[in-house]
Amino acid sequence: MITIIDYGCGNVKAFVNVFNRFNIPVVVANSKEQVRKASSIILPGVGAFDFVMKTFNESGLRDIVENKVLVEKTPVLGICAGMQILADSSEEGKEKGLSWIKGNVRLFDTSKIPYVTKVPHMGWNQISPNDSQLFIKIEDNSRFYFVHSYYFEVAEESNSIAKSIYGLEFTSAVRNNNIFGVQFHPEKSHNNGIQLLLNFSKI
Amino acid sequence: MRGFQICTNCIMDTTDSKIIFDEKGVCDHCNTYYKDILPKWHFGELGEKTLWQIIDKIKKEGKRKDFDCIMGMSGGIDSSYLLYMMVEKFGLRPLVFHVDAGWNTQIAVNNIERLIDGLGLDLYTEVINWEEIKDLQLSFLKSGVPHIDVPQDNAFFATMYKFASKHNIKYILTGGNYSTECVRNPLEWMYYQSDSIQLLDIHKKFGTIPLKSYPVTNILWHKVYLPIIKGIKLVRPLDYIPYNKENAMQLLVEKFGYQKYPQKHFESRFTRFYESYWLTERFGYDTRKVQYSSLILTGQMSREDALNKLNEPAYDPEIIHQDLEFIANKLGITKEELNGYLKMPKKTFRDFKSQESLYMLGAKVMRILGFEKGGKR
Amino acid sequence: MLYPRIIPCLLVHNKGLVKTVKFSAPKYVGDPINAVRIFNEKEVDELIVIDIDATIENREPDYKMIENLAAESRMPLCYGGGIKTADQAQRIFSLGVEKIALSSSVIENPLIVSEIAAHVGTQSVIVILDVKKKFFSKKYEIWTHNATNNTGKDPVEFAKLCESLGAGEIIINSIDQDGVMKGYDLNLIDQIRESISLPMTVLGGAGSLDDVGELIRKHGIIGIAAGSLFVFKGKYKAVLINYPNPIEKELLIRANFN
Repeated sequence: MITIIDYGCGNVKAFVNVFNRFNIPVVVANSKEQVRKASSIILPGVGAFDFVMKTFNESGLRDIVENKVLVEKTPVLGICAGMQILADSSEEGKEKGLSWIKGNVRLFDTSKIPYVTKVPHMGWNQISPNDSQLFIKIEDNSRFYFVHSYYFEVAEESNSIAKSIYGLEFTSAVRNNNIFGVQFHPEKSHNNGIQLLLNFSKI
Repeated sequence: MRGFQICTNCIMDTTDSKIIFDEKGVCDHCNTYYKDILPKWHFGELGEKTLWQIIDKIKKEGKRKDFDCIMGMSGGIDSSYLLYMMVEKFGLRPLVFHVDAGWNTQIAVNNIERLIDGLGLDLYTEVINWEEIKDLQLSFLKSGVPHIDVPQDNAFFATMYKFASKHNIKYILTGGNYSTECVRNPLEWMYYQSDSIQLLDIHKKFGTIPLKSYPVTNILWHKVYLPIIKGIKLVRPLDYIPYNKENAMQLLVEKFGYQKYPQKHFESRFTRFYESYWLTERFGYDTRKVQYSSLILTGQMSREDALNKLNEPAYDPEIIHQDLEFIANKLGITKEELNGYLKMPKKTFRDFKSQESLYMLGAKVMRILGFEKGGKR
Repeated sequence: MLYPRIIPCLLVHNKGLVKTVKFSAPKYVGDPINAVRIFNEKEVDELIVIDIDATIENREPDYKMIENLAAESRMPLCYGGGIKTADQAQRIFSLGVEKIALSSSVIENPLIVSEIAAHVGTQSVIVILDVKKKFFSKKYEIWTHNATNNTGKDPVEFAKLCESLGAGEIIINSIDQDGVMKGYDLNLIDQIRESISLPMTVLGGAGSLDDVGELIRKHGIIGIAAGSLFVFKGKYKAVLINYPNPIEKELLIRANFN
């Protein structure tokens, strides 16, 4: 059963709406018991790094989620800030990240951004995905909705499974075995997003 | 209680409780077609010539006016093809109107836009107050009668006549056609949409908010006053020219980028629910029998194909619960409530006030005078 | 490459969708949920929905309606109307809405911006300013309560204040151009654009896709919102929901975006 972790950050309902429309059973977990039964996990996240990390730490769910992910190898998909907390740390804050995927989260180099609004990077932008299962039927240059000011700089290039361009080229999706993360919001990216979530549901 | 019998010529059967079979097992729908409709139906050279005569009259009548005729656009194939033909081939200048009863699908709206843009026409719309029509539709659901699409259809007709009257347009063109509709839905399946007495009676008994802006038509107004006093005429051009629905659809796709509807009646999800689920599941009335029978009679479908298709479910069982959820949600009720209406005791149009006797009288008069061919009974 | 956003804006009044002209004479345009559903299927970039009664009637937002709208939206949805507290904002976010828009409540209590942003992050807190030209002047003033209350405040200064308070985006809504369909107030837009670096969306006046194209040419990455343009069709202003399809949108942007 796809399980969306409701730890206090992120648009849980939007994911539920997508899976409901496609008759894919989904559960919203805010208890350890619910997480225990998960066959795959979605980790939403909206907000500043420290706030999201602290909220996750204090939710009481971190241990069980970590066990599921690192020990049981349950597939997990981090969304936006939920992807950023997979890193070691972020320039945005002081909290330590989960370190499930090596790397650091950096602020966009605003000197390279030719627009009046430097950050956040907000709107529909393209991705160049690799051949991961996450991107089945998603073509190169497909658009997704982004809204973020920091990006994930992976330590190992093999962990970067999609790239986008905003001023510079940056990683827009990551993967380390069963651990996936996307910087954009698939739950708000129309058909491309739906396709990605359906793909994840089959992993 | 009669046993089940199916026509040997088309596929209408005793689920139409008023059906009559002759000694060859052929039903009265077929016989009416052969006797009353076919002899007077010309869609070859004669038909086109007759149509041109009518068109010329329309143009003459509308010479100094902004529009010479009025046409409704639902986004459906018949009305879209009609619009195209009348403008491109026959050079008419129609006032095109669309009635938004709150159930428009994206495809319908898009197709209307494509036609309007492609033909360079202007559009009028009438937006029915959603809260009012929702209340009316719920009233009909609560009443237990089959014909729950009356609120939409009534609104369509009322608006059409209102525009004609307001803009002083004498000719109303509709996409109704014998080619796909020579067999009509039995009255007990689909009662007259323009019977406002029935509509108002049902609303009085089950409605919860007053009807302030909902347009109510009136059979005397649109069958007597408008045609006789104001001289407004209804024309069905598709009866005069060869009309094949498949070909019409292809043309619309190629010429206008028209989007195909994934299923029948997808212009309005309510109509799809109504015809493919509500009527079949609750009453056992399968309108496909009517549609296919028309196609059989006009040589567009074989009886065997029709029978085979009837074996398939009327609605898609994979997505029906999604549709039901959609309908319930939109009407502001729960799925359980909707199911409740599905299962409650069945009523007919006779359980409420109606103008049925007036319709029967009128139809008789029209037939005697030769104005209407074929029956809705 | 990042693209500018083209955003339909819907007004809700007495549970129905309406369109106004200069913030008055609301004309009934249909059922909000069906409209959102159709826009969703047309794959619009984002959607703004404003309840124009909530503040005037001093009541809570219609949470049931908001929940239904969010359920239909596979794109970011911004809701505004009657939000005065962080709790209300939080409740609306939990219904599946991405952004909330504050109008009169920001004027009354500017700190509400940071209060709400502290919990959900700044990107989700939008400030919408309804702006009218001063009589016999080139300057503008912010009005609230459906253009019935003149705050006397300068939108340029106030926009800067909102930026410092941590707003995620500013929507500039021209009361004078609302529903008139003769083009955006480019002067107003220039003034605001020069004064802040926050994401900005403009609303009021779009009469055709040419107006949208012009804004893209002048300002590049900007939110381009419109009401009448996407709800009316043709010279009789027939209600027909429309929006450029993905190909038309791509062509429109490519033709105008550098």
